[in-house]
Amino acid sequence: MTDHDTDTNVLMRPLNWLETQSEAVFAYVLLAPAFLLLGVVALYPLVRTFQFSLLADQVSAPAPLGGVVGLENYVDLLAGRALLPQQFLDPTFQTPLLQQALFVTVAFAVLSVLFETLLGFGQALVLDQDFRGRRWVRVAIIIPYAIPIVIQAMIFFLIFNPTIGFGTEFMQSIGAFGSNPLASSSDSFLIVLVADIWKTSAFMALLILAGLQSVDRGLYDVAKVSGASAWQQFKYITLPLVAPALLVAMLFRTMDAMRIYGLIDATAGCQTVPSLSCLVITSVFGTRRWATASAVAFLTAVVIGLLVLVYLLTLRNREVGMT
Amino acid sequence: MASVTLDGVTKEYDDVLAVDDMDLEIRDGEFVTFVGPSGCGKSTTMEAIAGLTLPTRGTVEIGGRDVTDLPPKDRGISMVFQNIALFPHMDVYDNVSFGLRLRKYSGEEVEQRVERAADVVQLEGMMDRMPEEMSGGQRQRVAIARAIVREPEVFLMDEPLANLDAELRVHMRTQLQRLHRELDTTIVYVTHDQAQAMTMSDRVAVIEAGELKQVDPPLTCYDEPNNLFVAGFIGSPSMNFIEGEITDEGFTSTYTDVPFDPAAQGVEPGQAVTLGVRPEDVHLQWNDEQAAAPTDTYGRIVDVLEPMGDEMFVYLLSDEDVEASAEGRGEGQTLMNVGPGEDVAAGDDVEVVFDREKIHLFDTGTGQAIVHGLE
Amino acid sequence: MSDDRQPGPAGVDRTDEPDLDRGIVEAWAARMISNPERAYRASFYVATGFFLVTTLFPFFWLLIVAITPRGDLSDIGVFTPGGTPRTEVTIPLLEWTLAVPAGIPADVNAAAFLEIFDPNVVPFHWYIFNSFLIATVATVIVLFVASLAGYVFGRLEFRGRNPLLLLVLITSFFPPAAFFVPLNRMFNAELEVLSPLLQDGSLYNTPYAIFIPLSALYLPLSIFILMTFYAQIPEGLEDAARVEGTTRLGALFRVIVPLSAPGVATAGVLTFITVYNEYFFSSLMTDGQFQNWAPMLAGILKFQGQYQVLYDLMAAASIVAVLPVTILVIVAQEKIVSGLTAGAVKE
Repeated sequence: MTDHDTDTNVLMRPLNWLETQSEAVFAYVLLAPAFLLLGVVALYPLVRTFQFSLLADQVSAPAPLGGVVGLENYVDLLAGRALLPQQFLDPTFQTPLLQQALFVTVAFAVLSVLFETLLGFGQALVLDQDFRGRRWVRVAIIIPYAIPIVIQAMIFFLIFNPTIGFGTEFMQSIGAFGSNPLASSSDSFLIVLVADIWKTSAFMALLILAGLQSVDRGLYDVAKVSGASAWQQFKYITLPLVAPALLVAMLFRTMDAMRIYGLIDATAGCQTVPSLSCLVITSVFGTRRWATASAVAFLTAVVIGLLVLVYLLTLRNREVGMT
Repeated sequence: MASVTLDGVTKEYDDVLAVDDMDLEIRDGEFVTFVGPSGCGKSTTMEAIAGLTLPTRGTVEIGGRDVTDLPPKDRGISMVFQNIALFPHMDVYDNVSFGLRLRKYSGEEVEQRVERAADVVQLEGMMDRMPEEMSGGQRQRVAIARAIVREPEVFLMDEPLANLDAELRVHMRTQLQRLHRELDTTIVYVTHDQAQAMTMSDRVAVIEAGELKQVDPPLTCYDEPNNLFVAGFIGSPSMNFIEGEITDEGFTSTYTDVPFDPAAQGVEPGQAVTLGVRPEDVHLQWNDEQAAAPTDTYGRIVDVLEPMGDEMFVYLLSDEDVEASAEGRGEGQTLMNVGPGEDVAAGDDVEVVFDREKIHLFDTGTGQAIVHGLE
Repeated sequence: MSDDRQPGPAGVDRTDEPDLDRGIVEAWAARMISNPERAYRASFYVATGFFLVTTLFPFFWLLIVAITPRGDLSDIGVFTPGGTPRTEVTIPLLEWTLAVPAGIPADVNAAAFLEIFDPNVVPFHWYIFNSFLIATVATVIVLFVASLAGYVFGRLEFRGRNPLLLLVLITSFFPPAAFFVPLNRMFNAELEVLSPLLQDGSLYNTPYAIFIPLSALYLPLSIFILMTFYAQIPEGLEDAARVEGTTRLGALFRVIVPLSAPGVATAGVLTFITVYNEYFFSSLMTDGQFQNWAPMLAGILKFQGQYQVLYDLMAAASIVAVLPVTILVIVAQEKIVSGLTAGAVKE
């Protein structure tokens, strides 16, 4: 044999062993690190959180979790029996806890994804053109997406800070805001929404741009030859071909919007704009309702899961319709 | 240099049997070609030799050493792939020297060996080109250089010429033969193209549906095919087949009778047989001196002519009722190969003869050859 | 935009207009309708201008806050720093009054950009360093682990592939809060195994408490991106590498990964940005002291001092903190777009 030995190195021995294993064993070994990490940080805590959600809250006892109550926490939440002093839209504190949070979260998700999709599409269409300085326009448009949440929050906090920023004065002059917007739920909701749209339209733009760039340019030539106007080209070529990328981008954005927390916490605060994630944190830190918090976390995941399902079914139907 | 032995190699995918209990002995220094239609298991067999696929059962030996459980890198083989598979992110030098560098050869030896390999396939002066800057033929030569540079014991080639244009393919065919002579290495070659199998190999292994149908030198496969499949697969254009029956007088079918003594040919009256005759063994009646032993004449109608320059293919119909089939030759159609200047035209009625010495008989049921050449 | 009403060549056209009574706007509109290409270009410039202003204005304004002297913070305008002389202008018809700048500011305070590094106030560079380190380590871990998993999911056929992939997907349905209580317990627990490594054996106040959860939670995205990339590398290249002398893993890192560079870059940049920017775990897993690996986020919040909120310093610190990711975006933007084009979108 003229070949040098490749397996003299001690380090190579496990790798050589791995070489002779079946495809399945090889796959499992390679997946081990990922699932170890996911197991410790995600899957195990999820199981624990689910267990917690089946226990009783002990607001004043030394241990925050009591005996097993089964699905009672979920039932209380869904039936609107879990009440907390929250002020959003409801100065009488009578709106059930989960409904408030669900309303805030879904309203935020729908509005933010809607505006981000429209703006992101516009930005992507601009970036898809060939023009001088495109590189820098692209950087400028993408850059908000790279901004840390805390800084994004702070910018809008300062803009709408009554003593420093101009935002409050302006909004008041057109009659949209009350005296202290960062303490008012509806005003704050708007501020959080604007801040989110500013930052994450760029994300939509990126994904839609990627979709636009994989459209075969030859199709537009065909369309022009057959006399299609710019609008018709957009409607019959761009939109249908970008639709899958658009749906994927919207799916990611919706999942993210449903989990909104940091932006709220760093601007108006979780008491003012109680999203589902906020509710989990305030229940843990504010009122020591660990079990209720865990149940809320799981319900959030269920809602997100349902949304994902709707998106996936839409995507699949489109694919079936195409073929 | 080494022999390769397959012993009962079987590969199952879920419920598909890709390779079925294959036994094969490839001798040291031999050029053996696996040939068969796509999906017949020839590539899977080669992957089992390379170690890229673990056989479900059976053992692979290279140079007398059981390598069934060894990874590809420890088998002393090298390989050229159908899609050439040069690493697009490395230049020619890095591609060719990849295996040597992995094996920690000294820089000096790497350089010498790469130079030698480049010399063999005439790649001088292209060492710092990237694969994307090269033509198909140049890439193919790089792939071959990468394979020979390690001086492997066995050289595996999986459809290496499939992606080249026709002219280059013919050129590379002669190059590979020369290479085999120079290196004197065992070469296992996979192709679906019987022309490559015929022209280059010491022996051809014809594979169908995961089974070895015949392993013999190319001309043996051509002149004495073991069965209908090999007879039909080897040779281009392929052999004419006429299904019929044995009577006391010999072979009989709708349009063609060939008298002989059944006992002398080892067949029995009533047996269903298929008569096979190659296009070049069908002659016009006025040329019957070209046949060593002409049969009786058969009346045919000229359907289509294909003049090739040095020869001419004549498609014959046995009867005006016979419909010319779009897919290959159907019942009642015969292909004849004649000289370029023969005076025939479409629509002519002609008389043809077969050469009895070149007639093959196959058992229609089992497909096995019964006799090659009638007495 | 007024720019589009007065392009050079268009001025020549205007003399051709027979009806001189028509307003300029009307004439402009008529030309746009008769020449859709021009209308198209005009709307393109309008849109580009609009997007540039809306995305960049907040940064500009942040800079204004940072350079405003602390005493003038309540006097900051929309486009000018505090302390700029202004005159009131009343817009006719609307009866609005606008404060229009009427001079250059008396005092511009660039010192905020130095003050943020003052060890006696908040040593912001240490917070940036912590964030940078945490994001780098998390990115390396994610790329390595996701490469292995992406290879398996993208290229291998085996029993259990789809259920395992679904499990990866499901973890991204949960809000970070869903992991928090058990993780908080785990990281605060004093684990004897870890005591030789860590002072009190607990992970709280260590970088591990941030990058371990974040690596795991952002792993799925990278797995999905890399999976689609690795699946596209022809099988022959992997086989060639193995025949030439690598192990299967060797083929992954020597051939498949280098050839998937746009995908790896995309996954890496997105992971780095997301971890650097993350809020939830970054704010909850340390006590906010830079010695205890508190990230940049905690540093910015530190400027909300006990007695006084130092808005100018917060703004200056934010600008500094944005620089690393800005540079990353400038360098990698082309790769990210091509990476997303070639990979993730096809899913």
